[in-house]
Amino acid sequence: MLLFGKAFTRTLLANGLALAVGPFCVLAQAQEYIDLEAERAASEGRPASASGTQAAQPAQAYPVTSYGIGTSARPEQSASTAPATTVAPAPVAASGANAGQLMLQVQQLQQEVMRLNGIVEEQAHELRTLKSQSLERYLDIDRRLSLLAGGSVDEVAPLPTEGATSTGSPSAPAASVPASAPAAQPTAAQPGESAAYQAAYGLVREQKFDEAVSAFQQFLRDYPAGRFTPNAHYWLGELYLVTTPPDVEAARQSFMLLLDLYPADSKVPDALFKLGKIHYTKGNRDRAREFLDRVINEYGASNSAAVKLAQDFINDNY
Amino acid sequence: MKHLTAVLVATVFALATTSARAELVIEITQGMDNPTAIAVVPFAWQGSGTAPEDVAQVIDNDLARSGQFDPVGRGDMLARPSTQQEVFYRDWRAINTEYVLIGRASVTGQVQMRIEYELFDVNRQARVLSGYEEGHVNDARMLAHRVADEVYETLTGIPGAFATRLLYVSVTRNPGGKDFYRLTLSDSDGARPIVLLESREPIMAPSWSPDGKHIAYVSFETSRPAIYRQELATGARVQLTNFRGLNGAPAWSPDGNSMAMVLSKDGNPDIYLMDLRTRELTQLTRHYAIDTEPTWMPDGRSILFTSDRGGRPQIYRYDLRSGATERLTYEGSYNARARVAQDGRNLVMVHQAGGQFHIALQDLVTNRLQILTGTDLDESPSIAPNGSMVLYGTKSGDRGILAAVSVDGGVKFRLPAREGDVREPAWSPYMSR
Repeated sequence: MLLFGKAFTRTLLANGLALAVGPFCVLAQAQEYIDLEAERAASEGRPASASGTQAAQPAQAYPVTSYGIGTSARPEQSASTAPATTVAPAPVAASGANAGQLMLQVQQLQQEVMRLNGIVEEQAHELRTLKSQSLERYLDIDRRLSLLAGGSVDEVAPLPTEGATSTGSPSAPAASVPASAPAAQPTAAQPGESAAYQAAYGLVREQKFDEAVSAFQQFLRDYPAGRFTPNAHYWLGELYLVTTPPDVEAARQSFMLLLDLYPADSKVPDALFKLGKIHYTKGNRDRAREFLDRVINEYGASNSAAVKLAQDFINDNY
Repeated sequence: MKHLTAVLVATVFALATTSARAELVIEITQGMDNPTAIAVVPFAWQGSGTAPEDVAQVIDNDLARSGQFDPVGRGDMLARPSTQQEVFYRDWRAINTEYVLIGRASVTGQVQMRIEYELFDVNRQARVLSGYEEGHVNDARMLAHRVADEVYETLTGIPGAFATRLLYVSVTRNPGGKDFYRLTLSDSDGARPIVLLESREPIMAPSWSPDGKHIAYVSFETSRPAIYRQELATGARVQLTNFRGLNGAPAWSPDGNSMAMVLSKDGNPDIYLMDLRTRELTQLTRHYAIDTEPTWMPDGRSILFTSDRGGRPQIYRYDLRSGATERLTYEGSYNARARVAQDGRNLVMVHQAGGQFHIALQDLVTNRLQILTGTDLDESPSIAPNGSMVLYGTKSGDRGILAAVSVDGGVKFRLPAREGDVREPAWSPYMSR
């Protein structure tokens, strides 16, 4: 029923069965050639031996010798003029069978290469897709960072705008040190905290996402109630989405932690937006909409960039 | 020549008798949610005797078949104007009609037909289109299709493709002996079928030259496959290939100067390019896998083809300049028989999903795949020149029929044949006048 199969059957028919039968034609030709040689040898009254075949060889009625059918003639056989003891059609046939065997193997190899070729094509495609996805995610973070730095009361400085291509660029190095904690933040920075946060954040900028995850996790262990702790939760949430493979559930938990522990933090609208997006990707449109609506309803008056993002997202997807 | 059982039918269109009796009957199975209400008022006949063709009905059917219009039934019309002075908008508002098309038809000098038409917007109370079509009276239906094209373009912004033609192969099963194959040319609505070739041996892969004046096909009439090229106006034909093995799937280049085809003369089916002026052959693909079903990208710079070089049939693109080959389809384990719309973006193909063969559309920019059909065993998709509809072969019961689906999957209709199996439709390009 396969259409391709059907087409191919036609192809084959049209082709004089060249595709499937090809090897056997060659085999038949080889056999003809071998028979011919054996006949000629017999008529010349000299022994013809199909060399290279070691199989038990039935006795023949006529003298035979090696006639160069194979590649490695066996001198002792050709030397022995002893009649009747050796070889002819059977090894000849065996050699033919070998040729057939070879053709079969070539065919099998071709099939195998085609199969592998398919796998390579698919994996290359998969890689391209993943690359472009991770670039997209990175650009998303980058864009949002720029927005946040540009407008809202956020303490994180912008990434270079061509962030994706400027990996490792030394531009704007220390500029991203948070200038001041928001008033709502009760805790003061602890010794070493700022440096640890900056180090972890630097990894994000360098797109070393896996290392950044470890660094922020370590940061949270070291400074469970630091000035940048909410930020660390937020960044972990973002990072879980861009690691390979993405850990959407971990991301969701990080954002929820931020919401539960620091409901007044300036990152909350962004976390809400992200949660909306996460639920949307999980296929939970209604739950997603709740989060997106919360961004707009609760922070609509603020100048948080998340409000516009949420609105755009709703416009695009609902 | 003793094997030549084919009968060539001369196809001088100007002399062909006008027969509206269609071999294919159209059944609309799915339309759009909010089709535009339009009234196509019967055109006034200004000649002697009766009109040779109900022009308005042809237009009415065209618009209905697009799925985007809901023509008003004639019985519901409160008036039947044929001039602007006779159009009273309240008559049409009363029956919720958005547009009204009126017209007049006449014949001068026995054979020259003229159709004048005017289209009115009921809400804006204004004439939005007027014009006329002229041609041979035997081509009355084609003139009507052209009017439908104008109306369609005015109201949708997309050029119409009603004044186009179809090629298809039909097979009449003969349990006692050999099957009977026909290559048929018809209007885009299935009307005016003309049999171009009849044979006891298979006819396959009909395709159009870009100017719509020539066709190519594969015929087994010499007991083995060969590619023929045939001029529609004269029926004159030339055998292009007669190689050992497979000669198949001719596909005209967009500039009309060359033809891609599948040949297996060197042992294995590969894609070749024939220069139609010099008959010179160039081998494009060289692979021990099966390369087949070539089709051109509209820009003529690359050729898409089906190959199982990756173990399963998938669509590949061969770049004619660089010679590079790139796989295009990744979704599903079977994608074959590609055709690309004139925009170079919409790729339609046969796609296997859930054990069934459907027509699917892949957007070549986003690479998103959409399955368009719900029928099974779909084959040979062919895209209308305006890119709006896809015609394909499918099975209804145990019979092969033609069906069509819009590129958004929203509109569907079937064209069951009166007899036999129909398959391998090829939608013509825009016909030059």
